[in-house]
Amino acid sequence: MTALAPTGVPQMTFGRLVAAYLSDAKYESLRLLRTPAFSVPILAMPILFYTFFGVLLNGGGHRPPGFADQMFVGWTVYGVMGPGLFGFGILVAVERNMGLLTFKRALPMPTGSYLAAKLMMAYVFALVVMAMLVTAGLTMGHVSLSLPKLVTVAAVMSLGVIPACAIGLFIGSWAPASSASAFANIVYLGMAFLSGLFFPLSGVLHDIRAVWPTYHLAQLARAAAGMPTEGSVATHGLILAAISAALTLLAARKLARTG
Amino acid sequence: MARDDSETDTALARLSGVRKRYGETVALAGLDLEVRPGELLAVLGPNGAGKTTAIALMLGLQRPDAGEVELFGRSPLDLAARRGVGVMMQEVMLPDALKVRELVAMTQAYYPDPLTLAETIALAGIEKIAQRPYIKLSGGQKRQAQFALAICGRPRLLFLDEPTTGLDVTARETMWAALRGIVARGTSIVLTTHYIEEAQALADRVVVMAKGRQVATGTVAEMRALVARKRVDCVTALSAAAIAAWPEVTSAIAGENRQIAITTPDAEAVVRRLLAADPGLSELEVRRAGLSEAFAELTQEPAAMEAAQ
Repeated sequence: MTALAPTGVPQMTFGRLVAAYLSDAKYESLRLLRTPAFSVPILAMPILFYTFFGVLLNGGGHRPPGFADQMFVGWTVYGVMGPGLFGFGILVAVERNMGLLTFKRALPMPTGSYLAAKLMMAYVFALVVMAMLVTAGLTMGHVSLSLPKLVTVAAVMSLGVIPACAIGLFIGSWAPASSASAFANIVYLGMAFLSGLFFPLSGVLHDIRAVWPTYHLAQLARAAAGMPTEGSVATHGLILAAISAALTLLAARKLARTG
Repeated sequence: MARDDSETDTALARLSGVRKRYGETVALAGLDLEVRPGELLAVLGPNGAGKTTAIALMLGLQRPDAGEVELFGRSPLDLAARRGVGVMMQEVMLPDALKVRELVAMTQAYYPDPLTLAETIALAGIEKIAQRPYIKLSGGQKRQAQFALAICGRPRLLFLDEPTTGLDVTARETMWAALRGIVARGTSIVLTTHYIEEAQALADRVVVMAKGRQVATGTVAEMRALVARKRVDCVTALSAAAIAAWPEVTSAIAGENRQIAITTPDAEAVVRRLLAADPGLSELEVRRAGLSEAFAELTQEPAAMEAAQ
């Protein structure tokens, strides 16, 4: 038995640590921007759907009062879920499968930098989606909300990337790479409709609407818009935080065990 | 078993009595392994010997079922320990929309005192591919890019899992030159390879693994001395099977055009008997067995021993 050499490895300065997080976020965004097959649908779908369902089918603003606002709020919830669900749900599964996650675990990548980069990317994507929705709402959506109200809704909703990322991370850490995309799509569309974002629910679907995170997000969006809500803002926020924390923990356990 | 602890008195990484199994498969059956400062350690062994598992344990990618794993005197799960390490893995796909230089920059950011981008590109010899997206690279070029990622952090210890697989001769020579340069600067390297000549060309010390154990360690010369076999090549009318049946012959393998490669501890006796049995024998050549033969000998023994039990 011989003595072990001391590490002799310099410590990371705080500046370099921050730089490592920023560099991961930069390259994560860069590679997604260069992968339009992935990024264009996430960015374009909400604005396309909103234009079609919220603007064209609105009959030039002749629907009942509040319809335009309801549509706008609903599509912001839909729009904010995409980047998190797909950015984590599909990418983590694929990167797990291709050995990239194992390679990154072998490297001295700062703890959390992998997830922080994806969270930051999702947030930037969500901001772009929100900006497009606000612009469309103001110019053609016949919304009765004022610009500050619209911006408030967009800002509150952009925080919705956190639960969206947690759900995506959960899917990405457990689902096989080949089926992660299908899972993410089912969850995405399923939650959007089952939580009554676009049309009123009735019967059992109405009774269980509080199961879906998108329902709570929609209530927060309505509160931000000054529209009537069910339950208190604090309750919805807490429920979303609890769901996010639980799913992230379950995902982290899986990733730490198997990579 | 040949050991040369006298040369150094410290270790950068160490596995002590490590056991690891995947379900029913035993990957490591009590492995002891040390990596010492400034050495290039070649880990040789057939597929399934446990080479990649040993590296995964030293990188903290796997936890041992039993035994100790240390990296710079710490747990390999400790980020501070891994900051001294560079790694090139066997199977990894990198984000292929990024250019090679961007991948290098992204990896450098994880290290406290990395090489500059220009230094990394020059040392890895990747000037021609630095500006190209990873997706556009050939298999060999991807290995070169991965090598650049392994060295860019100025690591004190470099793990290379079969680094030259898929490289053409020029690229392999470039990587060998880079490895010699890196060792000369004081970095230790652990290299797994199935190219015997790679170990012979580069290694200060060789560890031979079989069935999850270390079966031998020493310098390349010591490994060859350990198995004091000679290799006898000739072109003869005799059959390989007939020669293999002689008591002084370890093995006889037929090649093309009546060539036969014989391994034996007693070359003189074999040559006398060959010449007596076949006056038309030609192309006779006797030499010391290469690492290839020594290696085959060493890794076969545990199997033979177990079969005997």
